[in-house]
Amino acid sequence: MQDIVKEDDILLEVRNISLSFGGVKALEDVSFDIRKGEVRAIIGPNGAGKSSMLNVINGFYHPQEGQIWFNGQLRNRMKPHQVAKLGIARTFQNIALFKGMSTLDNLMTGRYIKMHSNLFAQMIWKGPAQREEIEHRQKVEEIIDFLKIQSIRKTPVGKLPYGMQKRVELGRALAAESKLLLLDEPMAGMNLEEKEDMCRFVLDVNEQFGTTIALIEHDMGVVMDISNRVVVLDYGKKLADGSPDEVRNNAAVIDAYLGVSHD
Amino acid sequence: MTPDFLHTIEVILNGLMAGVMYSLVALGFVLIFKASGIFNYAQGVMALFAALTLVGFQTGQVPFSHLINELFGTQIHHWGPGMNNLIAILLTIVVMIVFAWLVEKLVLQHMVNQEPIILFMATIGLAFFMEGLGDLMWGADIKTLDVGIPSGGSFWWEDVTRTWVSEGYDYYGMYIDLLDVYATGIAVLLVTILTLFSQFTKTGRALRAVADDHQAALTVGISLRTIWVIVWSIAGIVALVAGIMWGSKSGVQFSLSLIALKALPVLILGGFTSIPGAIIGGLIIGVGEKLFEFWIGPLVGGATENWFAYVLALFFLMFRPQGLFGERIIERV
Repeated sequence: MQDIVKEDDILLEVRNISLSFGGVKALEDVSFDIRKGEVRAIIGPNGAGKSSMLNVINGFYHPQEGQIWFNGQLRNRMKPHQVAKLGIARTFQNIALFKGMSTLDNLMTGRYIKMHSNLFAQMIWKGPAQREEIEHRQKVEEIIDFLKIQSIRKTPVGKLPYGMQKRVELGRALAAESKLLLLDEPMAGMNLEEKEDMCRFVLDVNEQFGTTIALIEHDMGVVMDISNRVVVLDYGKKLADGSPDEVRNNAAVIDAYLGVSHD
Repeated sequence: MTPDFLHTIEVILNGLMAGVMYSLVALGFVLIFKASGIFNYAQGVMALFAALTLVGFQTGQVPFSHLINELFGTQIHHWGPGMNNLIAILLTIVVMIVFAWLVEKLVLQHMVNQEPIILFMATIGLAFFMEGLGDLMWGADIKTLDVGIPSGGSFWWEDVTRTWVSEGYDYYGMYIDLLDVYATGIAVLLVTILTLFSQFTKTGRALRAVADDHQAALTVGISLRTIWVIVWSIAGIVALVAGIMWGSKSGVQFSLSLIALKALPVLILGGFTSIPGAIIGGLIIGVGEKLFEFWIGPLVGGATENWFAYVLALFFLMFRPQGLFGERIIERV
């Protein structure tokens, strides 16, 4: 957790986002910002619209209303692969890896946007294309060391246990060296030990690489421990926004999580 | 060795080489199916179109000459003596790439997220369109294609095998068509290049990534549309190779597009998603139908090659619908 996060250094801002599918309102007039270098948590009960929010930022969904500002610029309607090129990487709640490919190939694919050699050079596999492969391979090896997944380098990821797959997915997102990392429930379904490992990695990424992180998480203990600021969603609306302590003591948040007493 | 035994070897060899030709066509199907989940009915017509275009370039035909003559009352047919084989092939590759780009732009782009059956229908439409376009551009007459690949029996092989027979028998050696030998060599080369490309390059990895998971591919910055153009281009080039081989063998004519039908049992055997499967499936069908014809054919009056592959495919559909190498179908209840 970085202590010095300047208030005016905003990396991403969503303004008045409304998203609906037919008659179902997934998000209603949600605004918040993510500052450079912080760990920002998005929490809320099931169906609160957290994943929808990530999908909006990531370009899978296009909100009917609202604006997205990234790096001080208003972003046009973009496709996910264009968003990736802007420098936003992500992981998924139910893991989206290339299951037939090895860990190494998954991470190399994560560097897709960083590789620039043209198709012709790749065909010949000499000169620039070859140099590029070697260069990027080094970077990928660094990430493999960082995440301590050396032993599964050549294993097809479909064969790995769940916790390891989550780690490889994080690795693939890291490989893009993006400015903003979106993590959709990175610790879901993990045991205590795996959770602690993952927390460690998230914090290390934030500290060592200075990557800004936005994460969705259900485990309140984890959220309070690792995030700088927390935004709370409920039924598609923003309920609260502030430091972990503020949010924890917010009456509306307590109601949403524990139910309202009617006396 | 007895002549009967040598005959059997000859049949197997010829079957293997016929199988390679089936594999070539099946390969084009697998490439597109893996990357986009589309069963491309037009693959056979693409082979025909590529072969027509190649012959057109080679002989210096003016495209659409019949149409132009009809409209303007002119009498043009050829613009010159034709061109060198290599240049003609390169130009045809360019045409197939432009075609891939147009297919993406005009068809696939408007059909994103549609049901597979709808995309399949679109490729049927595409097949009819290309068939007509091929006729309109280059004429509907049967053409011979010769790109300088040797054909005819190999005398050397005949001489070599003649000495294998045991003493006291009459044997004239094995017949093997040189064209088939070259076709096999080229197919092996093509598959090797494709494999290396997909394993060791950025675009190759992107192709595999898209085949594996669309959503994940998008998040790492891969544009599906670019990949589709590349895949259709590669399928177009594979179609060209298949078109050259089959065209050299039996002339460039409409029936060339029907080789796609022979690729169906190959795909059912090998699985729609496996490149090694397409190759081995092709070989099994090739050898199987030749051996069946050789052993069982005389008992049932011959002509078993027409139906053997389909019957074999039928058995596979009953007992192993995912094919030999396809991803296993697991239904969760």
